Amino acid sequence: MFKFDEICELIRLVGSTGVASVEIERAGSRLKIEGTAPPAAEGMTSVAQVASVPVAPMAQQPLAVAPAPTVEAAPALTQAEAEASEEEGLHFVASPIVGTFYRAPNPDADPYVKVGDFVEKGQVLCIVEAMKLMNEIESDLSGTIVKVYVENAQPVEFGERLFAIRPA
Amino acid sequence: MLSKVLIANRGEIALRVIQACRELGVASVAVHSEADRDCLHVQMADESVCIGGPYANTSYLNVSAVIAAAEITGADGVHPGYGFLAENAHFAEIVQECGLTFIGPSADAIRLMGNKSAARQAVAAAGVPVLPGSEGPLQGRQEALRIAEQIGYPVILKASAGGGGRGMRLAHDARELRHAFDTARTEAEKAFGDASVYLEKYLERPRHIEFQVLADGHGRVVHLGERECSIQRRHQKLLEEAPSAVLTPEQRSEMGRAAVAAARAARYTSAGTVEFLLDVDGSFYFMEMNTRIQVEHAVTEMVTDVDLVREQLLIASGERMSLPPRRAVHVRGHAIEFRINAEDPDTFAPSPGTVSSVVLPGGPGVRVDTHIYSGYTIPPYYDSLIAKVIVHGHDRNEAIARGRRALEMLRIDGVSTSTRLHLRILRDSDFINGNLDTHFMDRYLHE
Repeated sequence: MFKFDEICELIRLVGSTGVASVEIERAGSRLKIEGTAPPAAEGMTSVAQVASVPVAPMAQQPLAVAPAPTVEAAPALTQAEAEASEEEGLHFVASPIVGTFYRAPNPDADPYVKVGDFVEKGQVLCIVEAMKLMNEIESDLSGTIVKVYVENAQPVEFGERLFAIRPA
Repeated sequence: MLSKVLIANRGEIALRVIQACRELGVASVAVHSEADRDCLHVQMADESVCIGGPYANTSYLNVSAVIAAAEITGADGVHPGYGFLAENAHFAEIVQECGLTFIGPSADAIRLMGNKSAARQAVAAAGVPVLPGSEGPLQGRQEALRIAEQIGYPVILKASAGGGGRGMRLAHDARELRHAFDTARTEAEKAFGDASVYLEKYLERPRHIEFQVLADGHGRVVHLGERECSIQRRHQKLLEEAPSAVLTPEQRSEMGRAAVAAARAARYTSAGTVEFLLDVDGSFYFMEMNTRIQVEHAVTEMVTDVDLVREQLLIASGERMSLPPRRAVHVRGHAIEFRINAEDPDTFAPSPGTVSSVVLPGGPGVRVDTHIYSGYTIPPYYDSLIAKVIVHGHDRNEAIARGRRALEMLRIDGVSTSTRLHLRILRDSDFINGNLDTHFMDRYLHE
């Protein structure tokens, strides 16, 4: 099992050296870190996902607190929070299943949606992974994304709020 | 040793598993539906995950949601409790395939014992007495009539895939059997998606006696004595006691040996229960094996001082059971369990609602396993069992006296409960004299 500090250290290393990717296997756990070119916009983590680790599923957890992703997101979030404080007239998209929340189809891609985007009904908003299955979560109405509640690669419960949308 | 156990259940049994986990220093994860946010097991576990909506098929019966919850929390073991997914071989298999430990028997053992006619054949081959009847599913009506002639009426038809009384039909003569054959098949098809039925001799006044077994992965299989469970309503047990008031030491060791042989025939591991019917003439017959911890396990715990859930966790971790080697389990005194359901004691209609206040009985020889508390709202979606009052005494009379005073001192306000029904049973002279059979409750239903 990898310690959180170790993973952070490795991420920093990959980020600072420009190495494309590092993969380490130890005592049944495997960790793969890929560097990406420019930091992805809007909270997208620059860390690739940890490969599936049947012996030690815990290895997925540290990803939840991936470093350096929220720099750009922060102002947007506060702004969104200010708006959401009214909460009136907002529509909330809740997770229909328990699993792990991903904002993009793969670690190198842009997020499906970000705050301020206009989404159509039926448009994919995110992925919730359960039992290695990627479940695309669609918007159930058209409107503008005003808040993203969950960070990329965080576990989500059934019924947990994922997005707030101002209906068009 | 397992490090973190996810409990795929709710209510009192989820709390029971949390107790064992805490004592062993194992972390626990509760899963819950949206209707169970305020449930005590959610508050007492180290972590909790909401896995679905109020209806069990979206939450507690939702295999992928349970597995996903284990994945996001990093649990390495899954305890199924009883009911829900506890005897679902497919679930046990998926748990193992995902690299987690299923705290229970192998999927193969669950599958074998889940198929009633295959189970019957397997234990008969191991020398365990089974009711005279067909060797597995019946090919047709003619075969049913021929076998019934051989073994004598009355006979009962049962669904091969069944349980819980569905797909069961009683026949006292050939005319009834001809009719029952088709209805039993239709009912079996509807209830279980499998129309095959088998036939057994029907006992008029049997006792339901079951044996607790424990088996570890090191080849040790022991029994922990019997539980008398004849007091049932529509095949649902209401009150269980140990030991049985009628078994002789010889019968006990003979039935115990049969229970161990049945468990060995299934290559069983973990805690399990082998159910027998005991006829008035003293002969006994294998009925089925329950491949899980049972509601009434606490009765056995009270008379043997063995923590069965702790043993399940040890065995699932690959360790040996912690009972002293080469020694039979000692049974001490007498224990009775009363199932307290949130229901009307006369009509038996469920009575969900808010428990305005609870006072639980205590004192010598009293144990209460419950998940209710003052202010708790019993949701209407699940089983009506809200508490188990278990009493222990030096002998049966002391246990009955303790049971009576414990039930009198149990106060649950806000909902109707089955407490009063238990007090009636405790005053019944047949019960006091140990005169029991599986029709005992009929007198209360026909009044």
